[in-house]
Amino acid sequence: MSLAVPLVAFLDALGQFLRPSTLAEVILNGLSKAALYAMIAGGLTLIFGLMGVLNFAHGSLTMFGAYLGGLVLVLAVGQATGPLARVAYFFVAVVVVFGALAGLGGALEVGLIRPLYDRPPIYQILLTFGVTLVLDEAARIVVSFYGLQPISDWQAALGTKPGPLSASYEFAGVSVSGLALFEILVGAATVAAVWGFLTRTRYGLVVRAGSEDSEMTEALGIDVRRVFTTVFALGAGIAGVAGLLLAWDPVWGASVPLASETLLPAFVVVIIGGLGTFRGTVYAALLVGLVDASMTWWFVNAVDFSGLPQMTIFLILVLVLVVKPQGLFGVAEVGGH
Amino acid sequence: MYPGLYHLAVTSPVGAEATALLPRVETMIAVFYFGLFAASFDFISGYTGYLSFGHATFYGAGAYLVVLAANGKLPLPYDTPFMLLIVLAGLLAVVLALVIGAVSFRLSGVYFAMITLGFSQVIYVFVRDWDFVSSSPRDGAAVVGPGGGEIPVFNVGVPGVDALNLAIGQLTGDTVEGLFGLLSLSAVGYDTFRYKLAAFAISGFFAGVAGALFAGFRRSVAPDNSLFFLVSGDALLASIIGGFGTLAGPIYGRLFDETVREFLSKEGAGGGLLPYLRGRLSEGTLATELFNGLTVREAIATFLNGHASLYLGLLFVAFVLFVPRGLLGTLRDRVGDTLAAAVSKRLR
Repeated sequence: MSLAVPLVAFLDALGQFLRPSTLAEVILNGLSKAALYAMIAGGLTLIFGLMGVLNFAHGSLTMFGAYLGGLVLVLAVGQATGPLARVAYFFVAVVVVFGALAGLGGALEVGLIRPLYDRPPIYQILLTFGVTLVLDEAARIVVSFYGLQPISDWQAALGTKPGPLSASYEFAGVSVSGLALFEILVGAATVAAVWGFLTRTRYGLVVRAGSEDSEMTEALGIDVRRVFTTVFALGAGIAGVAGLLLAWDPVWGASVPLASETLLPAFVVVIIGGLGTFRGTVYAALLVGLVDASMTWWFVNAVDFSGLPQMTIFLILVLVLVVKPQGLFGVAEVGGH
Repeated sequence: MYPGLYHLAVTSPVGAEATALLPRVETMIAVFYFGLFAASFDFISGYTGYLSFGHATFYGAGAYLVVLAANGKLPLPYDTPFMLLIVLAGLLAVVLALVIGAVSFRLSGVYFAMITLGFSQVIYVFVRDWDFVSSSPRDGAAVVGPGGGEIPVFNVGVPGVDALNLAIGQLTGDTVEGLFGLLSLSAVGYDTFRYKLAAFAISGFFAGVAGALFAGFRRSVAPDNSLFFLVSGDALLASIIGGFGTLAGPIYGRLFDETVREFLSKEGAGGGLLPYLRGRLSEGTLATELFNGLTVREAIATFLNGHASLYLGLLFVAFVLFVPRGLLGTLRDRVGDTLAAAVSKRLR
């Protein structure tokens, strides 16, 4: 009897979970989470794939993007701005954030990381970890100087979100928020853009060649160092745009702790996919996003344990590392494993 | 010894300067227990190059064991002597280290750092949301004694922590060098897995002990100050500044770290730069406008007050770039031997 009660409750919840409308909702939410994860982790995986640098400052760059993008939106959007204009300003903010963060990323690579390429890889982890401390504290100083709470979400930036994105829509019994759809669109566009860059452009070819064998690429007369700088800038730019998108998402929001909140999932996604493969990262983002959404549903409806989604994600990380250390799509040699 | 010296310095003619510069006695204790943790972190990360980014797990496990035992939530008498709890905390950490290490040492480099980070975050999230720990597990648990019972008293002082540091200091020298000499044997085909695991367990033991001391001294524990991955980051900071790959280095690194933090701490947290400047600078100077209506007082409050992390981070970056061997490592390079040996040679 004592065992039967939780079992019945579990089967009951499972029945609810497997209803088509619930499943469709979970999958849509999962896709929106996957889009965010792909954007957060995409830049990290590009940088690691080419240079073997695990960038601990990646989360801080995302956080900078959230604040900077939020600032553009707060300055541009007024009470009377219509929804379409707000979305247009969002894309203006995308350009600004991408440019600024790419500049910052490029400067970091040239100034700080370049001297470390001939040291053991652990020093790059150490250095970027130090950079994180500096960037986070600098953000905290600036943010509190303007009278904002560094640890709570920036409400003014959240407030610039156009009304249609806050509303939720219903198709055939499946309800989905406008924001989730918007996130899926932006995420898919980013993934497509990076994919196109890597596979359809000459520069992308050089990047892939450099990831494969940087010495050989250098021998062919290509200045790999310049490519390193470009890719670091690109990765930082993508991180910034991801931050901008998060500034509109009430689950995340622009805040200083966003740096470590995004860094950990980014690591998880990159490692699960296989360090340095962009394709693997996209698939891993889908996996993690869908698992996260399912576990969130279970937590809300059946299991009284709020850490369930996060804990499951880290368990997947550990499991993948145990079973297939190079990740789902990784090549064994990348990363000096 | 330190409390006496501190009292002497503060009451001396340069008392105001001493109050501003010297860490308080409580801070000094914190330096020692966290220094012990940082040393245990460096023991595995600095010596072997296996960056144990989940080291906070062992520290947190030790800390939680003490608090839970004191609250009567473990199958132990709640007034178990503190020394016994310290040992139990160490042993718990050893068990965890063996389990985590057995899986993780199949990997190396970045992957090792990531799998240990993964394990520690699983445990962090679990404890953070486990209502067995306390009624609001996110804020952690304090030592309140078992339901209505007497609240246990722990006697943690500088001497106790100091003795433990000496004990770990004894581990240096031949034992450690010998152990890690064995690690290089993997290149010629020996199985070093067991030695790595043993080193990880030893390191975990001292991290657990440090966590127990931390909880005993603070009389409370929260997930964010014990199990979170940034706690391992603090140990990393101390190790880099003090000397990566030296056992005593991280303790000096932590001392430096805490001193800077306290020097730039928020108002009301003991001595430090801010009250000193407020007391010494004239009202005219404080109200001087630097630019755009920003007064000196506001500038101090904005750029110095409680923002030690910024300057420590800059320093950390500078150390990684220019002083990779850290304070102690560089000094040892300079004198060509460990400091104690060099000093005794000079005196002879």
